[in-house]
Amino acid sequence: MALFELQNVSKHFGGLQVVSNLSLAVEQGEIVSLIGPNGAGKTTVLNLITGLYAPDAGKIVFDGRSIAGKDVHQITRLGIARTFQNLRLFLNMSIIENVMSAAYARTSANWFQIILRTPGFWKEEQHIRAVAEQKLAFFGERLVGYRFEQPAYSLSYANRRRLEIARALMTEPKLLLLDEPAAGMNPKETQEVTELIGKLRDELGLTIILIEHDMGVVGGISDRVIALDHGEKIAEGSFEAVATDPLVIEAYLGRNENMVRK
Amino acid sequence: MSQNKIGVDQWVEQYDQRVNKAKGLQGFIARTSQRLPPWGWLIVLVAVGALLPVITQNNFAIRIAGNIALMGTLALGLNVVVGYAGLLDLGFVAFYGIGAYTYAYLSSDFSGVHLPTWVSLPIIIVISALFGLVLGSPSLRLLGDYLAIVTLGFGQIFVQLMTSLTRVSLPGHERPVDLTGGPNGIINLDKLSLFGFTARTVTDHYLILLVVLAVALLVIYHLNRSRIGRAWRALREDELAAEAMGMPTRRLKLQAFAIGAAVAGFSGALFAGWQGSVFPANFDTTLLISVYAIIVLGGLGSLPGVVVGSIVMVAAPDILRDVTLAGTLFYVGVLVTLIGAIRPRWQTALLIGLVVVFGVIVRLIVGALDAQALAEPQLSNSLITNTVRSWLIIPVNATIIGNYAFGLLILMVLGVSRIKHSVWRLAALVPTLYVLIFVWETRLSQEPSVTRLLFVGVLLIVLMIYRPNGLLGQKRVEIV
Ligand SMILES: Nc1ncnc2c1ncn2[C@@H]1O[C@H](COP(=O)(O)OP(=O)(O)OP(=O)(O)O)[C@@H](O)[C@H]1O
Ligand SMILES: [Mg+2]
Repeated sequence: MALFELQNVSKHFGGLQVVSNLSLAVEQGEIVSLIGPNGAGKTTVLNLITGLYAPDAGKIVFDGRSIAGKDVHQITRLGIARTFQNLRLFLNMSIIENVMSAAYARTSANWFQIILRTPGFWKEEQHIRAVAEQKLAFFGERLVGYRFEQPAYSLSYANRRRLEIARALMTEPKLLLLDEPAAGMNPKETQEVTELIGKLRDELGLTIILIEHDMGVVGGISDRVIALDHGEKIAEGSFEAVATDPLVIEAYLGRNENMVRK
Repeated sequence: MSQNKIGVDQWVEQYDQRVNKAKGLQGFIARTSQRLPPWGWLIVLVAVGALLPVITQNNFAIRIAGNIALMGTLALGLNVVVGYAGLLDLGFVAFYGIGAYTYAYLSSDFSGVHLPTWVSLPIIIVISALFGLVLGSPSLRLLGDYLAIVTLGFGQIFVQLMTSLTRVSLPGHERPVDLTGGPNGIINLDKLSLFGFTARTVTDHYLILLVVLAVALLVIYHLNRSRIGRAWRALREDELAAEAMGMPTRRLKLQAFAIGAAVAGFSGALFAGWQGSVFPANFDTTLLISVYAIIVLGGLGSLPGVVVGSIVMVAAPDILRDVTLAGTLFYVGVLVTLIGAIRPRWQTALLIGLVVVFGVIVRLIVGALDAQALAEPQLSNSLITNTVRSWLIIPVNATIIGNYAFGLLILMVLGVSRIKHSVWRLAALVPTLYVLIFVWETRLSQEPSVTRLLFVGVLLIVLMIYRPNGLLGQKRVEIV
């Protein structure tokens, strides 16, 4: 059985049908890419999955249970984490605290333990910190050491994207949703991100849904690609098959020729 | 600056080295402050605070210090709600009132109940926190400005209720019952009594409040450095992202609201016990403004900032009651501003010299024109004031002329701030400073009530210009 499934999900805003009757399934350990021209509804799909929007119709099943209608934080607790297309870090908190804060759902120290600084509290706190440092170490040297205590706003754009991934990892997800992780990165950094996504699957056993405009990233890493246009699935299959699909080419060419890069 | 030759990253990386190399007092303070753990700071705070009654038997001074500790504790509660969780709660002072009135009900003849304070305090904390929860749960659905307006209304309603619930028909009572004492409040409350010790003197109260402040600081510090505190701040920074990272934002907001209310209620009880009475007017908007001024002045979310903020906000208006002290503060303030604003330093000295020369010339001219226009300077017991008055003119009808001069001063200050050329600015500063001193001596020093407010206002404005994040606040960035 698939780890994650969308069954006939629809969503509209006013008169605009943003997602219509979309079904898709993701197997444990798969990397699935969602592509499509601007405004196709990719981010909306992530918002539906994470509970920010409630679907008009259809079912969302994760790990064998329906999650549509649950609170956002409950869905995260069940094991779905995400990054945001327009970066939403806690800018005035330190880098390590950005990551540590995401351990909230996985920790349990109560008011008493916190105020009295009991041994149980210290143990948990040290554990959180160690895990957070380990998540940051995933990105090599870039976010470690003296950087831990720096505020998040002091980071470069690419590092902010990395920090967001680290923060998402801290929630201990099974399914990771990445919304354009390579946006605004240079070719070398883009290459790094591609490798990193592979590492996340291979070393942490994560299942990943990836939204990306950079066809290099999509082609390099995806097990399967799903193309959306106007909220509908227009193609699904291997990257080669989808990239050469006439409907997909038309969807991109019809609106924006620059989108087809490869 | 030379530091710019190395990258920002290196600059940050070398922070420790710089601190260790720093010389003199500054270096010593930087090093100690790094090494001293938070409870070390608390011990320093309590130890220094406890010295005060040893140094002085002056009840006036000790009372001010007690007020500082009380307002500091109250502001700590607000700091959780506004500084950490980012909820603009303008009804906060009502919880202070709820705590105070609950104390009055639990320890006075008004209700006939006389609980010792150590029994009533836990009850008061729970009741205030419950009120926080009850009022928080509907209003926390609102965002930003709406929350502010609704809570402001709540604060007003509290004062109204306490003023007007004097004739309430209750079942089982024939005549209407007075629930609150109305505008005359509830008086003759029991003294604070902790485990057999009863607070009688100002010093007793001060010491209790000092310890309470220290404990509150420690509790809030611990909460801040924990999963809950991190979640609060995360929710302040970006509520949606916090929720998406698994933090139950609604519950966290309620918790912040409740702990703020509990701290406020607790301080309110101590206030009531100290004052020995409660009146609705104790909990009006003036107090709200002071508490907000404390946390804004100190820096939102900063705990040492709360302490410094309450020292300034409580002590300044009280000290300024005294004309001699106010005068000293005024001249020191002007001098420090000049030294800070004018480079190189010798220009400051030149400027002061020129102002005196200017004053002497004005005096000669006025004396030659109309000798009767000048009043004999009244000598005060302040050296500075006497020195100034020896060359300044004090007109006979000082009030009117002083008022005009005040208007002129505002125009001159605006004018000087427009002059870019440094020599001309220095030249223009001479008469401006003269008029400033003239206005102070003829008008402001005579009206302490106005001066106090003016002082605090100017202080806040100047501070917010130079340090928009408060005295000890961290740099805050909204969007980058
Ligand atoms: N909350 C909302 N209210 C109204 N319209 C919305 C909302 N969210 C998204 N939309 C609309 O839905 C459509 C799809 O948006 P979405 O962000 O999902 O596109 P996308 O595929 O992620 O595009 P991009 O590649 O530019 O990120 C757009 O036309 C957008 O304007
Ligand atoms: Mg998008």
